[in-house]
Amino acid sequence: LRLWRCRCRALLSRPTGAPRARRGLAAGPEMHFGFQTVTEEERREKIYQVFENVAKKYDVMNDSMTLGIHRVWKDILVHKMNPCPGTLLLDVAGGTGDIAFRFINYVRSVRQRQLQRKLKHHQNLSWQEIFESYQNDKFNSLGDSQVVVCDINREMLKVGKQKAQHLGYSEGLSWVLGNAEELPFDDDKFDVYTIAFGIRNVTRIDLALQEAYRVLKPGGRFLCLEFSHVSNPLLSRLYDLYSFQVIPVLGEVIAGDWRSYQYLVESIRQFPPQEELKAMIEDAGFFKVDYENLNFGIVAIHSGFKL
Amino acid sequence: GHRRHCHRQQEQQQSSGSGSGSDSGSGSARPQPLEPSLLRFLVCPLSKRPLSRYEEATNELINEELGIAYPIIDGIPNMVPEAARRTHTKAPAEGSEQP
Repeated sequence: LRLWRCRCRALLSRPTGAPRARRGLAAGPEMHFGFQTVTEEERREKIYQVFENVAKKYDVMNDSMTLGIHRVWKDILVHKMNPCPGTLLLDVAGGTGDIAFRFINYVRSVRQRQLQRKLKHHQNLSWQEIFESYQNDKFNSLGDSQVVVCDINREMLKVGKQKAQHLGYSEGLSWVLGNAEELPFDDDKFDVYTIAFGIRNVTRIDLALQEAYRVLKPGGRFLCLEFSHVSNPLLSRLYDLYSFQVIPVLGEVIAGDWRSYQYLVESIRQFPPQEELKAMIEDAGFFKVDYENLNFGIVAIHSGFKL
Repeated sequence: GHRRHCHRQQEQQQSSGSGSGSDSGSGSARPQPLEPSLLRFLVCPLSKRPLSRYEEATNELINEELGIAYPIIDGIPNMVPEAARRTHTKAPAEGSEQP
């Protein structure tokens, strides 16, 4: 315990502006893994291992670390998306399915209201006709909406698939093992692309953004939910304290793995702030790029459109 | 590629034999079929071209142009280039896989 405490102190005293040259752009072979410097290949491997280790405890840890608030952030993301039935969503780095399940719930309830409104207009139908209309629409409870969950980590996908089974999600949901930098999907296919708490772990963010652009239909929307930067100095200090003192301990106590959670809090510090990420998204070709801070910038939702 | 090919077939035969007993929710005992709607979206991540076909015997998605096959494990297609298996050794022949 003394070891990590010393380490935390060392980290807190490190100037915030530790080499930001390597922001997931093609800037040479050296990259950051949290506050360490590693090669691109090492980074991929280390990150894969982090998520392999945390997969089974991922949801529990999310709840503990964020005191359950991550659920609200994800709800806000899907509400911002406001999908209508028939939407085709690609959820990248969506491993355990949080966004996918929310999407399905959302379009299902929108669809229900659509059907209710339709039935209200058919007050003069016979019972036979009403019964038949229920039969037809039963096969369309999602209105042909679909979500494809793509993740590079097999363990995370496994957890997601199991969750789906337990919670009863089956229709309109598929799982693919793929790399965000090299997506196995055709051009101009999806209405919405989401990446929630995943883009931070991508090694070449520019490639991931280009791929996002490629697979979206014209008119499609890019949505990114990610930890970002708190500008308020007091809040920032409290946030740092919480991140470096509490989270790795929680990681050790709950998941038996403080190192992975140490990586997590470090990687948040290394990730580009709001404006910089906005510029990167624009570089990939997106228009009307904007962001919305949640909780004073602890988290931000970036949005862009392919025209 | 030959040995790995046989090994995977053996694995599948074993798991389909143990079948209905282990239904504890992990679902990894049975070789799960691929979600058919997925084939609409999937392409080869390398060439970005549509895949030639789904090979039921080996539970793989074949790209005949490049002569590679992507495995499907637990019903999840593994669409990363590192996971692809060569179906030919040299130049692509008539598209037949090695026995």
